[in-house]
Amino acid sequence: MVLTPTPEFHRLVGIPRSVAVAYPYGRLLGQVGDKDGQRRVLLDTLSFLGKARTPGEMRHLPYAWPEEPKNAKWQPPEMSPLIKYYLDDIRAARKSKA
Amino acid sequence: MAESTATVDGFRFLPPSLAAWIDNLIGNQEFTGSIPWTVLSRPVSEATVALVTSAGISLKKNPPFDMEREKREATWGDRSFRVIPKGSTESDIDANHLHINTSYILQDMNVIFPLARMRELEAEGVIGRFAPSAYSFYGFQWKSTEFLTQAIAPMSVKMREEGVDAVLLTPA
Repeated sequence: MVLTPTPEFHRLVGIPRSVAVAYPYGRLLGQVGDKDGQRRVLLDTLSFLGKARTPGEMRHLPYAWPEEPKNAKWQPPEMSPLIKYYLDDIRAARKSKA
Repeated sequence: MAESTATVDGFRFLPPSLAAWIDNLIGNQEFTGSIPWTVLSRPVSEATVALVTSAGISLKKNPPFDMEREKREATWGDRSFRVIPKGSTESDIDANHLHINTSYILQDMNVIFPLARMRELEAEGVIGRFAPSAYSFYGFQWKSTEFLTQAIAPMSVKMREEGVDAVLLTPA
């Protein structure tokens, strides 16, 4: 069972059971100190564990993160080595989709 | 938190360039291969559940994940894993990960590795048992199959020894 922020990876690999949540990377359960919110995500996820009957089944949770993505500050203080390594490709990818 | 009925957009928190790059990597084809499936052998309220995260969490008394080699070799990620006893707290752990902001985990690890929340649900009988050992590995595994033998295989052996029925993975 995977609690995922990126359900699109389902197109690449077959995940038996997954729950998708629109929370930033590194905080899939919720905000710091938000016990009730963390518990809610966990309960929903465990509930789905008991209900899923089909390989690849996914549930999307209805919760919305309270900050705009640009304010979520999930990224590391320094650009990761991989991003630096592929930076030209990453910039080109955006242009190719424009 | 507010609620919405929309399908989760996994690219919402990514800068546009990175989102486009990852979208290209994933591709647009739906997965057509075989998906592993094991029927849950008992209700969740009777099941032993293990927790695994890829957030790079380690016990302070153990070596941290190797960030220095990754800084030198951008496509290499540490293939090892750590066993984290289920009773561990923030004072016991460290978090090393070059792809996320780990400061939140150090304040409250339940944001990605909900040991305290799982212990509460075990005490309430929502799950049958929280497995004694939880696990952390390093989420950046770029096209590595060695990771399967060096981390996944030994983790699964220990899970079997502890009678685990189901595993929850929280990827970073």
